[in-house]
Amino acid sequence: MFRISGGEVYDPLHGINGEKRDIYVRDGKIVAPEDVDQKHLEVIDASGLVVMAGGVDIHSHIAGSKVNIGRKIRPEDHRRDPVPRSQVTRSGVGYTVGTTFVNAYRYARLGYTTIMEAAVPPLKARHTHEELMDTPLIDKGCLILMGNNNFILRHIGSGDYDKIRNFVSWLLHACKGYGIKAVNPGGIENWKWGKNVAGLDDLVMGYGVTPRQIITTLIRVNEELGLPHPLHLHCNNLGLPGNYQTTLETMKVAGQSRLHLTHLQFHSYGGESMRNLSSQAPVLAEYINEHENLSIDVGQIIFGEVTTMTADGPWQYTLYQLSHNKWANSDVEYETGAGIVPFLFKRDNPIHATQWAIGLELFLLIQDPWRVILTTDHPNAGPFFFYPQIIKLLMDKKYRDEMLASVHERASCTLLSQIDREYSLYEIAIITRAGPARRLGLRHKGHLGVGADADIAIYPKEVDAEWMFSNPRYVFKDGLLVVKDGQIVTDYMGRSLLVETAWEESIAEEIGKEFDRFYSISLENYPVELDYLPRYEVIPCR
Amino acid sequence: MDKVILRLKERSNIPVEAEAICPDLFLTKSQQEIEELALYYGNKGRRLGDFFQVQGERSDNIVIEGEIPNFKKIGQGMSRGNIHIQGDVGMHLGALMKGGRILVEGNVSDWLGAEMEGGSIRVKGNAGHLVGAAYRGSSRGMRGGEIIVEGDGGSEVGELMRRGLIVIGGRAGDFVGAFLIAGTIVVLGPVGLRPGAGMKRGTIVAFQEPDLLPTFHYNCLCQLSFLRIYLHHLREEDLNIPQEYLGGFYKRYNGDTLELGKGEILVWAGQVA
Amino acid sequence: MQVNGVEIEDTFAEAFRMVGSRILITACSRQWALQAATTMTGFATSVIGCGCEAGLEREVEPEETPDGRPGTSVLLFAMSKKSLADQLIKRIGQCVMTSPTSACYNFLESSETVLVGGKLRYFGDGYQISKLLGGRRFWRIPVMEGEFLIEESFGVQEAVGGGNFLILGQDLESTLRATERAVAEIGKVRGVITPFPGGIVRSGSKVSSKYKFLRASSNTPYCPTIRSLVDSQLSEAVNCVLEIVIDGLEKTEVGEAMRVGIRAACLPGIVRISAGNYGGALGQYHFYLRDILGGTLG
Repeated sequence: MFRISGGEVYDPLHGINGEKRDIYVRDGKIVAPEDVDQKHLEVIDASGLVVMAGGVDIHSHIAGSKVNIGRKIRPEDHRRDPVPRSQVTRSGVGYTVGTTFVNAYRYARLGYTTIMEAAVPPLKARHTHEELMDTPLIDKGCLILMGNNNFILRHIGSGDYDKIRNFVSWLLHACKGYGIKAVNPGGIENWKWGKNVAGLDDLVMGYGVTPRQIITTLIRVNEELGLPHPLHLHCNNLGLPGNYQTTLETMKVAGQSRLHLTHLQFHSYGGESMRNLSSQAPVLAEYINEHENLSIDVGQIIFGEVTTMTADGPWQYTLYQLSHNKWANSDVEYETGAGIVPFLFKRDNPIHATQWAIGLELFLLIQDPWRVILTTDHPNAGPFFFYPQIIKLLMDKKYRDEMLASVHERASCTLLSQIDREYSLYEIAIITRAGPARRLGLRHKGHLGVGADADIAIYPKEVDAEWMFSNPRYVFKDGLLVVKDGQIVTDYMGRSLLVETAWEESIAEEIGKEFDRFYSISLENYPVELDYLPRYEVIPCR
Repeated sequence: MDKVILRLKERSNIPVEAEAICPDLFLTKSQQEIEELALYYGNKGRRLGDFFQVQGERSDNIVIEGEIPNFKKIGQGMSRGNIHIQGDVGMHLGALMKGGRILVEGNVSDWLGAEMEGGSIRVKGNAGHLVGAAYRGSSRGMRGGEIIVEGDGGSEVGELMRRGLIVIGGRAGDFVGAFLIAGTIVVLGPVGLRPGAGMKRGTIVAFQEPDLLPTFHYNCLCQLSFLRIYLHHLREEDLNIPQEYLGGFYKRYNGDTLELGKGEILVWAGQVA
Repeated sequence: MQVNGVEIEDTFAEAFRMVGSRILITACSRQWALQAATTMTGFATSVIGCGCEAGLEREVEPEETPDGRPGTSVLLFAMSKKSLADQLIKRIGQCVMTSPTSACYNFLESSETVLVGGKLRYFGDGYQISKLLGGRRFWRIPVMEGEFLIEESFGVQEAVGGGNFLILGQDLESTLRATERAVAEIGKVRGVITPFPGGIVRSGSKVSSKYKFLRASSNTPYCPTIRSLVDSQLSEAVNCVLEIVIDGLEKTEVGEAMRVGIRAACLPGIVRISAGNYGGALGQYHFYLRDILGGTLG
């Protein structure tokens, strides 16, 4: 039981913009002043400090099969970043694909307390949860890959929506998932034949369905189930010049329905070839500004080492050919695939510099901060621990222009230099916490109102936003002090966030037949049992 | 010449992480500061003075007396000066070094000169595995400089090497020059299995007929001026290079054709064609 | 001043600043090392007409060459670094690379270098191989006979071109003999060459002409057959004049070459030793004959 006293509070959900407020915490929740015993109240002096809800990352790759492949093929990534243990924390390694513990510590040390693992193949859900069990401090959820699932593709062909909805519902249950993720719908299935799809109306081989149908179906199922988070979509044609048209068309497919487009930066390209890749961020931003049903996260480029990892197998092969770096491909039976390629984003590379500017354009041209979310698609466009650098780029026009001047001149072909907008702390609180929490349907996160989880980050108030957001003075998780002055001070296990939706038992029987014939494991071993999770919380549907 | 002499106090089998034994560091340090340099003894932090009697200071010329096969990372990343080790020494000797010279009278363990960029290493005894190799996951091994091992070398000598010269005076283990990117490896004794597997470019010179992978293709018998230069250079380094090696003929094989195929394995074929 | 009864004229040789290089050619035998050097230094008598001046400096013993084979050392001079590089690429490419068993190395240590092997390597059509040893980069170019090895870059330095002296004799026989002997002695001096045929030029020139389209013409004041028609520099006793032109990497070496050459040339039948100059306004170096012979350089 404690009071955070005298801090400058940024709580956009409640319209609180830097006013001095006291925050009361009891039993891991934020409570009203009258609900605490004022006499026995510990006081945290936050005067001169900035108080925000804990950060929420809507899209990150921190656990599971492809993350682990990334770890395996990159020992050199780890050798450069050893992390010794402390009294409280375990040892590990960091950099682009860190160990589970180090990832968790580093997120917590940024003041982030909730993370969505953005691409979990159903067959690898157990593995993913096992890694998340070793990812302490933070709450975490899993978005389940469904855009290339055999069962779904087959029944789209036969037009049996009810069956698909039942299946999706069962699959979320089996995987202990939080939401539906689709990656390059149809493209990964075609990759099993060495091909891809080039647009929304290409055929998925062997099924006779199109990416458009897959997206429409998954949006409809998502909304009919009333899942807290809209369909989380990685569009077709990621990374390719001219792909903004596919992205725009995909947005139109959504109509009035909710849709979350992830790492939009990778989908905002004009031009006909890598040589003349250009920015079409303004076009997409304009469309998003006019359509409130849409939200995006950016996938901002950070110059330096990254490890690209995505279910988008065909793109990863392209990237392998472009970079001549090492490449791992993974095929997940009936469900999806993955590719992993280490990559280096260079300041003096015209394409990389343009990509960097495009991400910032999206941040700055999309007017409604509630619908643009800060991500680096960790570890694809950059490691998440560079978020403070992005915050500084958004808040400080001068710093942004200096960096623009230091990268390849091609980046200046974008609108970036002409945009004067600077984010306020209030807006930063939206794109890092309030916005993603709202978009994920996490009503008890991302804000500091009564009833919210006491996930609280307290930062020193500094002119240099990068330093400020890298060095929270205190971070509380469920009311426990986990970070103090940059050090992890408490070991604590966060919760797995799940949804529970209904399905008809008959679906299990039908799935069972498929498993007997085609899967490498039996149906009995497939679903992740609830008691497998050390702590969990079911998030209600809409 | 000024030097710092380190005399081992007591032999131990417990590994010591000794990257602090580096000419660049010693150059500016007093005897007391050298004694205070931190080493890891197993998982315990210790001072250099716990292991060695230190004589001398402020010199980039280091002499180590005693058998130290448990000492790792000596001279790691050094850019200047000399290290003269009078006995055996452990793993990672001269790894990542950029310049200077290391001389070992005894044997060395694995990862000798791993990913080194410049300078030279001379070992009078044998070396372990992965001489001049890339650390696991790295795209390149040795990037420059010279390693001469008068005795035998272990497996994966010069794995992923990018530039430089490695000479093994005796026998070399399996996978000599595996994934070689460029550079030259000369093995005066027998060569183990699968030399040059996956090599792109670069040269492996063998004087005893190796068992080559089927992805290496024979070109011709030849006499190569560049090889004479290299062998002359080795003579100047006091290696025993018979005259017939210089004037002799070499079989030239290209490979690994599973990769670029521009690498070569030169096999001495005698004095007359 | 007289040497062996031969009059040394009180005049000076006027020499020019050039850029020089030293190339080592090795081959399987002395003969082939010489052949490549001879071919490379052909048509290289005068920079005006040939683009460069070149000659064999000396033969190099196998112990002194990097590959342990017999070698020849060639000096090559041009008016600029760029034209020197150009000539090296052309002459090594056409005359050394083509010569059986040859290899070609830089033989002049200098902070300034020009790219030669680094350009010729493209002849390898992608099969050329680079080797770096002791800071020197070599290129191995596959050729029909085997492999041509050439160093990537060659040292260049400021040099002295056009050191000279004239041997004025009573008749052709004694003049030629004296000049040949001078050339032979100069051949023992390191760092110099005598670029003309056999080291000798019989048709010295002056920098003027009655014809507008010519900048230079026969050195008429020294032509004996027209002695009475021109403002001749010759006495009645002189019936033949031969000249030796010397290029060298260092001024001292050129002076030394002139000294031993003149001394050797002072034989019976020689009347006078003179030198060519343009009044001293054109050349950067002046070699006063009497100073040279007196052991001090002008």
